[in-house]
Amino acid sequence: MRRRRYQPNIKKNSTFGLNITSMTDMFTILLVFLLQSYSTSDVEILPVKGMRLPSSNTPLNPVEGVKINLTKDKMLIDQKEIATLSNSDFERKDVDANDSNFILPLFQELDKMAKEMKDKKYISEGRVLLQADASMPYHTLRKVMYTASLAGFPQLKMVTTVGQ
Amino acid sequence: MRAKKYQIDHNSEFELDLAPLLAVMVKLVPVLLMSSAFVQMMIIETELPQVVQEAIQRQEQSKDEKTSITLEMSNAAGVKIVIHEKGQNLVDSIPAKDGQFDFQTVHAKLQEVKKKYPEIFKVDLRPSGDVAYENLVKLMDEARKSRNQTKFPVFDSQSGKSVETEYMFPEIVFVNTLEG
Repeated sequence: MRRRRYQPNIKKNSTFGLNITSMTDMFTILLVFLLQSYSTSDVEILPVKGMRLPSSNTPLNPVEGVKINLTKDKMLIDQKEIATLSNSDFERKDVDANDSNFILPLFQELDKMAKEMKDKKYISEGRVLLQADASMPYHTLRKVMYTASLAGFPQLKMVTTVGQ
Repeated sequence: MRAKKYQIDHNSEFELDLAPLLAVMVKLVPVLLMSSAFVQMMIIETELPQVVQEAIQRQEQSKDEKTSITLEMSNAAGVKIVIHEKGQNLVDSIPAKDGQFDFQTVHAKLQEVKKKYPEIFKVDLRPSGDVAYENLVKLMDEARKSRNQTKFPVFDSQSGKSVETEYMFPEIVFVNTLEG
């Protein structure tokens, strides 16, 4: 009698139930974590690469305003680069020749915004959200404050992270 | 004929179908990821004195001499609390300790000042150019609110009663922004 070769019984079209309990557990934990960090604020503040904001215990939530970012090497308005910095100070080309505190491109940009976006409340009220690096010296910040004030933006809001 | 009696097994086990729940979660996770804020940000309000406003303020001050508090800050001299009262300046210096600002002593001194002048909520901030932004924010934090549950009386004009608050000097104005 000829021996038959052993063939395992494999059903090619068989279906099997995947155990998804552990995956559901993982998603539940993820969902709770994301719900905790869910932001209901209508103001979007984007962090800038390489910038470390100071921490504060202020209880005020951000409001809408013209977003000025001041990093160690550049200044941006609404993510658009308008001036460059070296050694945490503005370069000579961006500073007015007659007034060392006057940042010309900042004034021009704010002035343009004030004329073009009159209907926006934060523009008419002159609100500025300043995001500056924690190590920035006051003499550089002062130039921004001075120019913003002269451009009709006297309400300065300093953006900070939540701290002790 | 007697009706057949069905037997219910109370100890039976069954598998719950989690697939629809998982489907909902898979859709929810990207939505929440998009609107999550992993770094919570806050703001500090400061009013910058405008040229005209400053002139008006100066006029007001000249008519009626009021008590004003100024915080002077520099890396070399530390923090100075200057109280301008009846034409005289009372200066309280808090020097830096090991090159760092002594914010604890500044806070304690500001609490003393607040106890003496509970009606004042505004301080003028006059930092020197070398002070880092981080230290400015810390000083503003120290001046804004009392830390150790110390409360100060405030007169509530609506109820006509005196109430207590932890806030000391929430209104901070950079006074030297327009100086040359």
